[in-house]
Amino acid sequence: MQSSSAINYDYTVAKYFTVATIVLGIVGMTVGVIIAFQLAFPELNNLFGEYGTFGRLRPIHTDGVAFGFTVSGVMATWYYVGQRVLKVSMAESKFLMFIGKLQFWLYVVLVASVVVSLLLGITTSKEYAEFEWPIDILVVIVWVLWGVSIFGLIGIRREKVLYISVWYYIATFLGVAMLYVFNNMEVPTYFVSGMGDWYHSVSMYAGSNDAMVQWWYGHNAVAFVFTVPIIAMIYYFLPKESGQPIFSYKLSLLSFWGLMFVYLWAGGHHLLYSTVPDWVQTMGSIFSIILILPSWGSAINMLLTMKGEWGQLRENPLIKFYVLASTFYMLSTLEGPIQAIKSVNALAHFTDWIPGHVHDGTLGWVGFMIIGAIFHMAPRMFKREIFSKKLIETQFWLQTTGIVMYFTSMWIAGITQGMMWRATDQYGNLSYSFIDTVEVLHPYWTLRAVGGLFYLIGVFMWAYNMYKTATSSKAIEKEPQYASPMA
Amino acid sequence: MDMEFIRNLQGWGYVAMIFGLTIGFYAYIYHLYKSQKDGVKDYEKYSRMALNDDIDDSLVESLHPQNNKKINRSVKDELAE
Amino acid sequence: MFHWLEKNPFFFAVGVFLVIAYAGIVTIVPDFMESARPLKGTKPYTALQIAGRQIYIANGCNTCHSQLIRPFKSETDRYGKYSLSGEYAYDRPFLWGSRRIGPDLHRVGNYRTTDWNENHMLDPEAVVPGSVMPKYGFMFKKSIDFKTAYAEAYTVKKVFNVPYDKPGMPKLGSYEQAKKAAFTQAGKIVADMRNQGVKDAYKKGDIKEIVAIIAYLNSLK
Ligand code: HEC
Ligand code: HEM
Repeated sequence: MQSSSAINYDYTVAKYFTVATIVLGIVGMTVGVIIAFQLAFPELNNLFGEYGTFGRLRPIHTDGVAFGFTVSGVMATWYYVGQRVLKVSMAESKFLMFIGKLQFWLYVVLVASVVVSLLLGITTSKEYAEFEWPIDILVVIVWVLWGVSIFGLIGIRREKVLYISVWYYIATFLGVAMLYVFNNMEVPTYFVSGMGDWYHSVSMYAGSNDAMVQWWYGHNAVAFVFTVPIIAMIYYFLPKESGQPIFSYKLSLLSFWGLMFVYLWAGGHHLLYSTVPDWVQTMGSIFSIILILPSWGSAINMLLTMKGEWGQLRENPLIKFYVLASTFYMLSTLEGPIQAIKSVNALAHFTDWIPGHVHDGTLGWVGFMIIGAIFHMAPRMFKREIFSKKLIETQFWLQTTGIVMYFTSMWIAGITQGMMWRATDQYGNLSYSFIDTVEVLHPYWTLRAVGGLFYLIGVFMWAYNMYKTATSSKAIEKEPQYASPMA
Repeated sequence: MDMEFIRNLQGWGYVAMIFGLTIGFYAYIYHLYKSQKDGVKDYEKYSRMALNDDIDDSLVESLHPQNNKKINRSVKDELAE
Repeated sequence: MFHWLEKNPFFFAVGVFLVIAYAGIVTIVPDFMESARPLKGTKPYTALQIAGRQIYIANGCNTCHSQLIRPFKSETDRYGKYSLSGEYAYDRPFLWGSRRIGPDLHRVGNYRTTDWNENHMLDPEAVVPGSVMPKYGFMFKKSIDFKTAYAEAYTVKKVFNVPYDKPGMPKLGSYEQAKKAAFTQAGKIVADMRNQGVKDAYKKGDIKEIVAIIAYLNSLK
């Protein structure tokens, strides 16, 4: 079949971003493991003077994995999936090719300046929005270039209808753009006062308003970076790797809108209004629940896609990654609403339960999906078999063990500490000093760090496997249609 | 305008939105399944876009409507014109 | 209607935009109008305290410490009166934090003193055995960046009408005036400190980071 037509898909930019995904995955998660060990063994804070303390490194971890690993993964898959489902090659447009490469190189500059500035302590302190204004401008440029690339490719497509994954990529693009700009409104102090550091700025919003905007952003950034583009991936890679069409395409359209409405506005937690009659408030709650239902559709749709084909789960390690990812997606979307219940939140907020919940989603859902997607792309991009199936299997089990260690230890740690903070003796005095509640966490923190280390080792195995695949694995003549060939 | 009034406005506005979204949303569900059943539009065929995505595979629905009657058109055919 | 929308993606997009805009107005604007009025008695930070706050941010103290006391008995017993929205009116950015690896600091100025903080910042483990807080010895050597602190104070005064130089409010004045005031304020803290290096530097007109961050911590009440 190869080359019977004049054109072929061009994966140059996808390959660039694949490298970025792997490198930034290693960097971001290594820092994650370091800070995890720092909590268990605080002497590790002092290895690199002021640059190595927990407070400096934590944002490098969170931004590194969110905007480094995850976003490059999104880009890598977009530059792969986008061409294929629109049936148009990047090679057909010099302009789009140029934009793609430009976007990549600017992204590299961006990542480098983020790492350096965070190490130096140049930060606005707002989570996932720590960058100072010059970097924000660069972010906007990179993002606009991505937009040009998406809509440019759509503009020259041959397939009339946009496949559901493309909807999700578009939503990611628009959602992040809107959120990012609003949350990062800031005034550079140098231009007002004519002195001090030129890159310093002060937030447009103060106090509670700043917090409100930030949480509106934080919550939705999670939606648009850790959920929406990952769904885009699973809607493509699971069907393609398994050879099964999506169980119900209509359900995928519905869950798209369900998700958009629910995530952005219909959380239902706003309904604490003063004198609006009770029945109105109740109706509001009921309707928001009815609205939420379809947003679960995605996960169910994915699992049902495998209906009658569960044998593949045993045979094909990539299917394992995808299926476990959607299972973790269901777990964390179940856990999220539970934590939003007022009394649960009173206990869970500020404790390790929150990072525990976050990492179900990020390690299990985001990480596994990206790793699995890039494994699927490898034989097609490099025209070689995946280097080692055995290594994938080992990686899978090691990482799964790591995740389980991570979230079980964090659940216990979070609930223990939350209970200790509020425990009182028979006279109503607090039973524990703060440091008591820190010392009990030591074993759990150690366990979490080891779990994280397992996951990180898995990432190194992935990197090695990918390197071998790209350079020295057995060449394949013809592009595989469904299951990825592996040795 | 005092805060109390704004809060009430917000409450009603919010409820109206939730009602609107829910009704619109379920109407859309009805629309999708009805169109499929009546044969107005086959949505399920679009899932083939992920499976037949080789550059030589046939298009599910060509952007150029006059071509849609010719079955199994692929990128190659479109380029040939 | 849906048939029509499927064929007219432009109007479809317009519709989606309208829904989002409406939803944004309904859910955000009223909350925005209500909060952010300063409480009576809440004052903006002095320039030296801003310098300390910038150091707090640069070192990510907020990754381990919250500044938000919730209205539960267990929290008010531990940290003091629960936090009110108006108390944050001059906080740009807010520093509520998301994880309490260390205790809440919103009212730490009520129960920790300059010399306690000095010892603790140098070696937390020595003061509170079992602490996992990093050592901040470098703050005893690094000098503050007063220009950037002044620039921030000046900017919020100009752009957001923060009431510096109003009756009963902190003075800011010109850069030279502010610098002099900061020096006086720092002198009171240095007098309560023991570290000789910091004292010597102060005599030469140089304020170390540790002084500013203690000034900030002391202001949290
Ligand atoms: C790794 C997390 C971590 C970081 C980063 C951190 N702290 Fe702490 N901090 C703690 C812990 C744990 C405690 C409780 C044990 C103790 O008192 O040392 C604490 C206690 C404190 C206390 C005493 C509070 C009280 O009520 O007793 C102060 C003040 C404080 N930290 C200030 C700071 C400042 C200022 C910074 C930034 C320069 C900072 N901390 C950075 C973890 C951290
Ligand atoms: C290699 C494994 C990893 C380890 C050991 C690790 C460790 C950590 C630690 C110690 C924290 C700080 C928690 C705290 O403040 O109490 C953290 C926070 C966070 N990590 Fe990771 N991490 C890992 C992988 C990832 C991945 C892959 C992602 C995303 C794709 C991720 C996303 C986050 C986020 C979003 C936070 C902030 C959570 C919050 O604000 O509560 N992490 N991580």
